[in-house]
Amino acid sequence: MDKIYILCVDDESDVLRSVTRDLAELEDAFPIETAASADEADRQIDRVFERGDRVGLVLCDHVMPGRNGVDFLIELRKRPELELTRKVLFTGQAGHEDTVQAINRAGITHYVAKPWKREDLLAVARDELTDYVIDAGVDPLAYMKYLDKGRLAEHVHRQNRTHTGQ
Amino acid sequence: MNPKTIVTLAIGLILFLLPFFIELEGLSLTGHITLGIFLLAALFWILEPIPIYATSLLVIFLQIIFLSVQGPLYQLGQVPATGPEPVEAEVWRIPAEALQEGEVLLLLDEDRQTSEIAVTVLDRDNGLVTVESAELTADTRLVLDADHWLLDFDVPSYTSYLNSLANPIIILFLGGFVLASAAVKYRLDRNLTRVILRPFGTRPAMVMLGLMLVTATLSAFMSNTATAAMMMTVIIPIVTQLDPADRYRIGIALCIPFAANVGGIATPIGTPPNAIVIGALQANDVFITFGTWMMLAVPLVAVLLFFVWWLLLKVYPPKEEKIVLEMSGKFDLSAKAIILYVVFGLTVVLWVTEAVHGLASSVVAFLPIAALTACQVIEKEDIRNLSWEVLWLMAGGIALGVAMQQTGLADYMIGLIRWELMGAFLVIIVFGFVAAGLSNFISNTVAASLLVPLAITLGASGILAEGVSVEINAIIIAVGASLGMALPISTPPNAIAMSTGMLRTPDMARMGIVIGIVGLVIALALSRVLWPALGL
Repeated sequence: MDKIYILCVDDESDVLRSVTRDLAELEDAFPIETAASADEADRQIDRVFERGDRVGLVLCDHVMPGRNGVDFLIELRKRPELELTRKVLFTGQAGHEDTVQAINRAGITHYVAKPWKREDLLAVARDELTDYVIDAGVDPLAYMKYLDKGRLAEHVHRQNRTHTGQ
Repeated sequence: MNPKTIVTLAIGLILFLLPFFIELEGLSLTGHITLGIFLLAALFWILEPIPIYATSLLVIFLQIIFLSVQGPLYQLGQVPATGPEPVEAEVWRIPAEALQEGEVLLLLDEDRQTSEIAVTVLDRDNGLVTVESAELTADTRLVLDADHWLLDFDVPSYTSYLNSLANPIIILFLGGFVLASAAVKYRLDRNLTRVILRPFGTRPAMVMLGLMLVTATLSAFMSNTATAAMMMTVIIPIVTQLDPADRYRIGIALCIPFAANVGGIATPIGTPPNAIVIGALQANDVFITFGTWMMLAVPLVAVLLFFVWWLLLKVYPPKEEKIVLEMSGKFDLSAKAIILYVVFGLTVVLWVTEAVHGLASSVVAFLPIAALTACQVIEKEDIRNLSWEVLWLMAGGIALGVAMQQTGLADYMIGLIRWELMGAFLVIIVFGFVAAGLSNFISNTVAASLLVPLAITLGASGILAEGVSVEINAIIIAVGASLGMALPISTPPNAIAMSTGMLRTPDMARMGIVIGIVGLVIALALSRVLWPALGL
């Protein structure tokens, strides 16, 4: 089965470590890749697709050397294979203009302010990945244990209105 | 494509071709071809190198190609035949091979049917025979090889295979699909659940009973899978608020899939194996009405549900005193929703009262199909979302069963086992347990499709002198197929319950095996007491 990756992009290695730690309980189902810059993130994404896997969630810092987070996410939007990928921006320093850009042009689905609480980040990741699983049409049963069980069960309910061949 | 798939496909092809090269005594040529199709279908259905519905369609396609008048085998095959050579009035010269034993000729008509005429032999000379007959003409075709395979190759038109796609039982299911789809669309199932659960209060034991009764009732008319998925959304909030050490969590997570599987037995449209059995019986001119089916199945379902309830409470007793179910919402009162409620109610009433009005359930099934589409309660998008592949899966199963019986393959296979040594009741036990055992691992529908033709043929053969009717033999298979629920892969409701992470496989397996066996014991008891009293 193709895997659904979580990609985390931040120039501070402490942040990458803490995201990996906070989301560790999802890792059995959603392996986490990290990147220290936008360019490295692009290469990571290419590698994931070369293996036939997918990217379900991108968590990205805004202020980074080189391309900033919002520009990176705007670029991602041009790649059709990432159309359904959920995009989360986390930052403590995005100005008003950046935020507007992030919503209007980068299509971010959530905004997390730094510093975050572990439960909050986990809840955001769960919620976003639940959306991805439903939108991408992958087998929800394989991920139910890790994500929003209620929403996925409801999705299965609507998907299987009539008999299955069992 | 992975290597296992390729090997499976190759073996399937070999199995299909095998009967063309082996001659089995007592099996007709069409029986040989059907055996090839049966072997291929069984392998593909069990190992699934291609989806099970695709195998069903392949079955119908192979039947048309190899077993119909329009198929190339029949079209391109030639029976060796010749015309007589006139000598004088009513005297003809023919090749010696054309003269069959007993001084008769076999005449071949355009439809490849033969008729015999007697002739008077006047002279035999060097491979030629001179005969006298008033019935011969210069256009007559005389069969040269009376044993040629095409002569006993008695096959129907391709339309009889296409008919299986719109078999009355398939239409009955389509009616059920349309109702179920509309019920989900207008949240009728969820609202009914809310209303029915209310009187069960907050005692954990009663909450579980309520959940099970709702699940079973809904799954009797709707998809077991959809019902189980919806009920999971109901119990997930309960389970998360319980102490992780409370074993009742496991019980509550298990009660839903088990009740959904058991509930499917209750009506003809409850689950596809029921349809396979009813369809196969119909092909043998045995008609089981919706009401009769419910009379024989509902007592079984009721007793078994109470047993499951008792068992789960015993094994997973609740620690809490009080469980609060939070379900909000209200009935959709839009015009379309109300049309749905009326049509749903009316359809169910007409289904169970067939004895009063005489309209067959498949005919009644057209009421929701026509009414809900006419009123646009069900729209184009909803129609596209019906499980058409399941209808095709069933059609292939029914078509295979019919061919197995018509070509004598079922008779032949039944003849391989000395059933008379087993006794009638033992036979039912064997069929029930084999069906349940198989459907733990393969699709319930497929298990029923493979077994039912054999059960019906055996029941009708008279090999088993007493105490076995065709109906009971077949019905026990439908029941058994629904009772195979020991593993997460056994049924979709099991898979859903398992994937929530609230359960471990051993919990499901232990309870599933016990419930399967107890269910079969109850069914076998009913087959001795209640079912014969219903005229089966």
